[in-house]
Amino acid sequence: MKRVITLNVNGTDHPTSVDASQRLIDVLRDDLGLKSVKEGCSTGDCGICAVLVDGKLVNSCLMLAAQCDGRRVTTVEGLADDPTMKRMQGSFIENNAAQCGFCTPAMLMASWDLARHSTDPTNEEIQVAISGILCRCTGYYQIIDSVHEGCKGARR
Amino acid sequence: MSEQVSQLLDSLRAKAEKGELLYIGENVVRVDSLEKVLGSPVYTADLIPKGTVYAKLFHSSIPHGTIKRMELGGAKSYPGVLGVLTSKDILGLNESSAILPDRQLFADPVVRSTGDILGAVIAETLPAATDAAARIKVEYDLLPAIFDPTESLKPGAIKIHPKGNIARQMKIRKGNVDEGFSKSDIVIEKTYRTQFQDAVPLEPEVGLAIPEDGGVKVIGSMQSPHHTQAAVAKVLKLPPEKVRVIQAVTGGAFGPKSDETPYDVCSTAALAAVKFRRPVYCGMDREDSMVMHTKRHPFVISHKTGVTSDGMLVADESRIIGDTGAYASLGVFVIVRATFHTVGAYEVPNVKADSFLVYTNNTYTGSLRGFGGPQAIFAIESQMEELARKLGIDPLEFRLRNMLVPGKKNATSAVMDASCGLPQCVEKVVTSSGYREKSVRYRNQTGSMRRGLGIALLMHGNSLGPEGNDYGAVHVEILSDGTISVGSGLTEYGTGAISGIMQVASSVLGVPLSRFKLERPDTSKHRESGPTVASRVVVIGGNASKQAAEKLRNRLIPVAAQLLKTDDKDVAMADGLAFDRHNPSVTVRWDDIVDEAYRRGVNMKEEGFFMAPAAPWDQEVGQGTPYVQYTWGALIVEVEVDTDTGYYKVVGAHAAYDVGKAVNPGGVLGQIYGGTVQGLGYAMMEELVHKDGVVVNPNLGDYYIPTSMDIPQEFKTFIVEVPGPLGPFGAKIIAEPPIVLPGAAVRNAVLNATGVSVDDLPVTSEKVLMGSRLKQAPMAP
Repeated sequence: MKRVITLNVNGTDHPTSVDASQRLIDVLRDDLGLKSVKEGCSTGDCGICAVLVDGKLVNSCLMLAAQCDGRRVTTVEGLADDPTMKRMQGSFIENNAAQCGFCTPAMLMASWDLARHSTDPTNEEIQVAISGILCRCTGYYQIIDSVHEGCKGARR
Repeated sequence: MSEQVSQLLDSLRAKAEKGELLYIGENVVRVDSLEKVLGSPVYTADLIPKGTVYAKLFHSSIPHGTIKRMELGGAKSYPGVLGVLTSKDILGLNESSAILPDRQLFADPVVRSTGDILGAVIAETLPAATDAAARIKVEYDLLPAIFDPTESLKPGAIKIHPKGNIARQMKIRKGNVDEGFSKSDIVIEKTYRTQFQDAVPLEPEVGLAIPEDGGVKVIGSMQSPHHTQAAVAKVLKLPPEKVRVIQAVTGGAFGPKSDETPYDVCSTAALAAVKFRRPVYCGMDREDSMVMHTKRHPFVISHKTGVTSDGMLVADESRIIGDTGAYASLGVFVIVRATFHTVGAYEVPNVKADSFLVYTNNTYTGSLRGFGGPQAIFAIESQMEELARKLGIDPLEFRLRNMLVPGKKNATSAVMDASCGLPQCVEKVVTSSGYREKSVRYRNQTGSMRRGLGIALLMHGNSLGPEGNDYGAVHVEILSDGTISVGSGLTEYGTGAISGIMQVASSVLGVPLSRFKLERPDTSKHRESGPTVASRVVVIGGNASKQAAEKLRNRLIPVAAQLLKTDDKDVAMADGLAFDRHNPSVTVRWDDIVDEAYRRGVNMKEEGFFMAPAAPWDQEVGQGTPYVQYTWGALIVEVEVDTDTGYYKVVGAHAAYDVGKAVNPGGVLGQIYGGTVQGLGYAMMEELVHKDGVVVNPNLGDYYIPTSMDIPQEFKTFIVEVPGPLGPFGAKIIAEPPIVLPGAAVRNAVLNATGVSVDDLPVTSEKVLMGSRLKQAPMAP
């Protein structure tokens, strides 16, 4: 059964016709072409599909698109001009935090979310902030270094 | 220009003036990092064109039997379904195997494991294909099954393959172990076991096939595009040139993507693309991947080891059994590497090893980072700890007496040369961890919280060695705008290795990496370069890249010399400029040299090709020099154990690796961090569980890998550089080695903290608790 909803994605309203069973990740990737959102497990365990919904980090594979009617969804693409995100991305590059890169957009979303609340987080705060997202390449250390640097001077 | 950048450029020019290495050894920005932080659409699933249909693989539900009947009607009539592919739809050979031709793409009529693929449903949408696949019913005649490799080896065991249950055998005979044992004061015999590990690349195996005139274009996530091309061509009965394979940016690999699973998804997509004249995407979800792709082999390794009372190793006899599951895949080489590393980083005068790669009806195993090393080193380093304790010698001291140093001989009787940096690695981690002070202090602990240190040492053979000719070709082309385009059949899948080979060319040409671009590996453009395995890209591909860049440099130097009005021999090149060594203030820009070279018709393309020297060894006795050089390493971990509950954590890790020359130190550290944490997962928590041949935890909710909360709070890393003979500028391999040591280091640390020997990985809290309970239980009189 199709239903028309309005998703506010990266600042723009998208009236979208969705199936009741359609997941948020499918609408973002397939209908809106936001390929930064990755699928790694489809069961909410790996976290690499993480996006912000009304400012809260969620796994987009566990959320139905219909649940997001009228809500604000933010992905890495939508923060391309955001100074904090740019600093974070630069820091990820400088510190070799992206190896295969498949978890990178989700890691950036979690890190950006942290940077909004903290300009000088502790290691533990960073570890907690990214704990819902698996990375199999880096062992997390260079990501943690990057987040420290990326948070410095972030706009609160 | 910032002062920092200006200083960097000055130092580069000073180096170039003296003819020293540029860029090598400096942290550079990888060529592929921007697209990754931007979330650009570069992975296979991001490239699916409109009009694509979806293939869902379905697999056996029994571990061993013959297919009696397949009921496909319910799937075929499902809305949106185009059709179902089974073995009957295969156009050429029904084969999907890397080395031994023992595996079919779609099993028929015999299934040998629950991971055997039976076919695929093709539908307009993935949900339709998935729902339809669930409607397929298969009836089997059951056959008896074996799940324990030691059972497979027994006389009279049922035969899993017509030729029997042993896929590969190997042996080492060095000296005479019987004489060695008779000269030993203490002999210990123990058996160690390791588990199935899943590589869990975050992107599962995926392939996209698009019909093209008379053939098919395949885009996929893989390590070895040319091997995939050959596999697909065989299944489709096409000449290889009609199958064009392009490696998309690959979201992690770790070994399974050099095995047969990329063949499976790409061949299925290609078959369907040709049959239905539509683009077809065949992507495994996590469960498919964990059931159907290759895992790390469980091993059963027994060591009988003799030492003198003053702590010198005399003899070691080992029996190594690897469970390859239903098919051999790259396991035939995994068992060889494990055997060559059976006594690890130690000199043992008498060595006897017998190893067997054995079929069972478990899902199959194959290539996974470390390639037999983690199992072999877990066993020998555990054995070393047991010996030290029995001798009453400090485990570090015992290792120092026996470890390989220049002049000593390893298990294959290869004499270690000056490139052996093991002592330096040990010194680094011993100092960093405070081992000498702590190991004494921790002997007198009381209370339930106990600390312990564990050591493991590494010798890791570089080059394919026994696995075949080790070669690679790298294509370097200077475009008219000055961009340097680099392409190869060798692939990038996350480590940064391809940026490393570009960095080598960058050093030779004196042009920063920011002017380079990477061509996607494409079988229609790039020469076959063997498999991208064994961490060999920087070492082998780096030499090829160096060669190509040197040839181009030799063509450009005369052009630059004329522009500078100086002699060829006085031209230096650095940071995108050429200048006269004796008069560095007069410069000419790279772009102007390139312009002038194009005007003169200079050939601006070059291909470098490098093949590692032969690594001869005698198969009868397993003696010789199967590897051209070795990477060395040492790891000390510190654990804190709650002996009341068995819960423990690794509170500190100290790792040192001799990488010969760190081309990109930040990248090297990335491999040390990442490999160690993946190894800690193997040591502490990861186990893919089979019950009667069925994988019971094929998802990331029940199969745990380390999260950011599981890593040691303190992790000190050291790069040691003792140049080796093989790689460019003395480089040795590093991507695989760091996963090898954590298994034994954690196990030994827990042993030293609690007195509990856990001889089967992973070292779970439950095993630690059970072990300490058993130790405390009153002994029967």
